Amino acid sequence: MTLLATSARRAAPVFACIGLLAIWQVASLALKNDSFPTAIEAIRAIPDILGDKESLINILASFRRMAIGFGVAVLVSIPLGLLMGRSRAVAAFFNPLLMVIYPVPKAALMPIIMLWLGVGDIAKTLVIFLGVSLPVIYHSFEGARAVEEKMLWSGAAMGLSPLQRLIRIVLPAALPEVLTGCRTGLVLALITMITSEMIARQSGAGNILFNALDMGQYDTVFAMIIIVGAMGICLDAIFERVRARLVRWSEPQFDMPLSFS
Amino acid sequence: MKVVPSRSSEWVRPVTSQKPASAIIEIDRVSQVFQTSARKDHLALSDISLTIDEGAFVSILGPSGCGKSTLLYIVGGFVSPTSGAAKIKGQAITGPGPDRGPVFQEFALFPWKTVLGNVMYGPRQQGVRTPEAEAQSRALIEMVGLKGYENFYPKELSGGMKQRVALARTLAYHPEVLLMDEPFGALDAHTRTRLQNDLLNIWERDRKTVLFVTHSVDEAVFLSDKVVMMSKSPGRIRQVIDIDLPRPRRRNELLLDPRYQKYVVDIERMFDEVDETGSPS
Repeated sequence: MTLLATSARRAAPVFACIGLLAIWQVASLALKNDSFPTAIEAIRAIPDILGDKESLINILASFRRMAIGFGVAVLVSIPLGLLMGRSRAVAAFFNPLLMVIYPVPKAALMPIIMLWLGVGDIAKTLVIFLGVSLPVIYHSFEGARAVEEKMLWSGAAMGLSPLQRLIRIVLPAALPEVLTGCRTGLVLALITMITSEMIARQSGAGNILFNALDMGQYDTVFAMIIIVGAMGICLDAIFERVRARLVRWSEPQFDMPLSFS
Repeated sequence: MKVVPSRSSEWVRPVTSQKPASAIIEIDRVSQVFQTSARKDHLALSDISLTIDEGAFVSILGPSGCGKSTLLYIVGGFVSPTSGAAKIKGQAITGPGPDRGPVFQEFALFPWKTVLGNVMYGPRQQGVRTPEAEAQSRALIEMVGLKGYENFYPKELSGGMKQRVALARTLAYHPEVLLMDEPFGALDAHTRTRLQNDLLNIWERDRKTVLFVTHSVDEAVFLSDKVVMMSKSPGRIRQVIDIDLPRPRRRNELLLDPRYQKYVVDIERMFDEVDETGSPS
């Protein structure tokens, strides 16, 4: 690949962001609607939010709930998914339960959970946990199921016990698929974080956003959308780097050029 | 050396009383039924009895679907027979163990480990300390002809190289019996020939007991002391042929040897019979 093509590829995301903001700016100027501030107005409101101690505490509280919900969900879901993938009995027990929970929007459970657990951290973290769990369980399950039987037999012949085989063969062999699930889970953690705060309006990034909406501070609303979006991009980029490092052994050996490049 | 097939049930006798002093594996009236659907059962192996002597290279030869791999998996302890029993050194086989090392057609390497990591896995699991395990593994990697590839991942290797790693990985924990399940079946003809030569060279050094499943007549005759010919549906032992050819064997000499040629022609004819008609019932 030429140097020009490489640098073009690197710069592409930047161009995409600039393009999006430009379209936003033009559309906003053309529509002249009070509830649709221009991109520049929204960006100008960002320092106000990040400079305000109260807002910053709110955003950090959201982030903490998200991290705990995501972390606990991953710790519970990976072992469960792997077990389901290797044991028919475990899969037969949990599959129907998960099939019932999967299509339900987790935010729809929020009112009930609030009745039980109040509007505090526990209820919101639980909703994030539920949102993250299902894709992680599902991908761990599929990953574990696809592990080659002969690989496990090879391990058994070396003297690995069933538990050792699960941890030392099934887990690493399924890791690429497990991490795909975690990546989906990470995005869902961000979504459920905002929606939970939208319903249980007490604190958090979602609370800032919807309070601003109530008060007609549309530049703040859009600024918060940009902040949440940026958070998502950063988290995903960090996760992707970690993922690529962990499963380097499974990546295709050559970077295949796309047919039209 | 004696490999004893039993084809009829009246010929049954206690295996222990007649076993040769050096028998390492005894398969005693093993049958295997697989449930293919809710109502239908498939008899994969029917009443197989076989004794394998220590240090012998024994091939199990047969058409696809004769249950020859299943028989190997039963000896490996990966599959439990529906009836009958398999023993190693007089002990009933109840599960896999490091005394029986499998090498599969699919290689089954650990893709997240390097070549060295794969070969060291068994010795480390057996409690060999890392420096010793590493030194032994490096020597084995050199023996199978992969010196310089220690830090490569399986995805970076060709099929033949992967199978060399798989062989080294199994040899590394010193199994008493090698269980080879069509190990060269997925390789191209040239690579296959080279691996057969190398396997024979390695084997002729320490003469481990080998149970080798194949559907290639040439391969079975070239490598083995005994060829166990199986017929299909259900899988039965059709005949056991002693391959009385001198060792060490060299391919270029053997291919010109009329005795080798006769074995191949005779066994090929037998193969055609069992493949067309199934087993006589």
